[in-house]
Amino acid sequence: MTTPTVPVDGLDPLLAAVDGASMAATVATLAGEPFAGRRVGTPGGGAARAWLGGQLADLDAAVSLEAFPVTAVPEVCAAPTVSCHDGVETRRLDFGRDVAVHLASAQQPRPVRGDLAVAGHGESAGRWLLVPAGMSLADAGGHADRAAGLLIGRTVDADGWQYTMLAGPNPGPLPVLSLEPGLHASLLRAADRGVGWLAGNTPIRRVDVSAANVHARWRTAADGQPDLLLTAHYDGVGDHPGLRQPAAADNASGVAVVLEAARILAPALPGGAGLAVALLDAEEAGALGSAHHAAQLRDDDVQPWVINVDGAGHLHQAAAVEAGGPAHPLLAALHQAGRHTGLTLVAGPVASDNRRYAAADLPVIGIGAGMAGYHSPADIPERVETSALIAVARLVVATAWLVATTPATRSSAIGD
Amino acid sequence: MSDTQTPGGFTGNPTAALDVAGTGGCCGNPPQATLTLPDTAPADAGPCCGTATDAAAEGSCCGSTAKADAVASGQGCCG
Repeated sequence: MTTPTVPVDGLDPLLAAVDGASMAATVATLAGEPFAGRRVGTPGGGAARAWLGGQLADLDAAVSLEAFPVTAVPEVCAAPTVSCHDGVETRRLDFGRDVAVHLASAQQPRPVRGDLAVAGHGESAGRWLLVPAGMSLADAGGHADRAAGLLIGRTVDADGWQYTMLAGPNPGPLPVLSLEPGLHASLLRAADRGVGWLAGNTPIRRVDVSAANVHARWRTAADGQPDLLLTAHYDGVGDHPGLRQPAAADNASGVAVVLEAARILAPALPGGAGLAVALLDAEEAGALGSAHHAAQLRDDDVQPWVINVDGAGHLHQAAAVEAGGPAHPLLAALHQAGRHTGLTLVAGPVASDNRRYAAADLPVIGIGAGMAGYHSPADIPERVETSALIAVARLVVATAWLVATTPATRSSAIGD
Repeated sequence: MSDTQTPGGFTGNPTAALDVAGTGGCCGNPPQATLTLPDTAPADAGPCCGTATDAAAEGSCCGSTAKADAVASGQGCCG
């Protein structure tokens, strides 16, 4: 492809103004205990929203909230108490590492003890059934008449944590615990020998909550000029009882980047481009905040150019970019921004709010540099690299600036 | 001043970003802490989520476990 050679006078002072320390401080604040992991509908999520609204107001934006309902958000309401015996020794299991409550689990507040068995083999009544690899939960449920519950093996991350998900299957009729693969294999062998037991509970409930996106606008686009919309989700999967999940990289880092880019662009964006920010709620519950916002934009026949950031905590060799809608001009600007700032980009999945805007046929790019400790207690501010925050913020600032200044080249720079 | 010639920008055609596998769904951003520059597409990469093995084991490309593991492994996901 041809290399765009768009003049960039005026951009470098903006890039030099990107403040890594300020972004790191934003990440640390959002990941702090008062916000409790920022799960949608929780007091911590509401406190984070209020704090972000204040930050945007301090940047002289017109700030508003847009509320919407979210149903059946899973909430582990107590640390499960689980112990087991593999025929040799009895173990008390460590919540979050050895054992977690599966999203498909029914609520079972009190521990139930039962002998171990293998799903699909022999008597199931009163027993905890180990689900062998290759058997789906639905199939296992078909072999689980009056069983105490199901036990499935689940991969842990590099830190040994079972990551938390909020979006997933609806609850079934049985308690379901996920076990670390080595433990699952050990109990499976015990069950094959006809020995062993497990006692455990699944204290998980579903709650209907109110969520809210935080909107800020600085400038309205002039006729024929692009209206830039910077987005990042501020919600996390939330703390568990006794288990903090700070959600620093996912996605306090993206929020920090968007706030910093807006701080720099608001007073300096050239031309008649518009500038707005949407800090989105309920991404972890299925990208519901962006779905709500995208529907609003479609109904209002408004077509902003969307730049979404999800994960700016770690940068190895490149940042992933996923685009949607009529995004060729946006991609051209992003490509040149990457070249100018020295950030390598690869086409790759960014499964985040950008997909909701893409589904509404809006021009959108999603940027994901990376993260450590995904949805686990290991997603802490100390693992968010300030250099990654700076690199992504510079990319966003440069992209927005190029969009605003180079309308004549936007449709040709990448040969579309 | 013209654009500087530092490394950076897309390693391939930027429009490939419009055709990323899994775009039709949404289930949380994968952790790309070890994102590296791709040589070629993995042989077992499916169009929807996870690996072919994941999907087969789950009995459905968009099954819950395959989906969660696909997200966690950075292989993409499905709605």
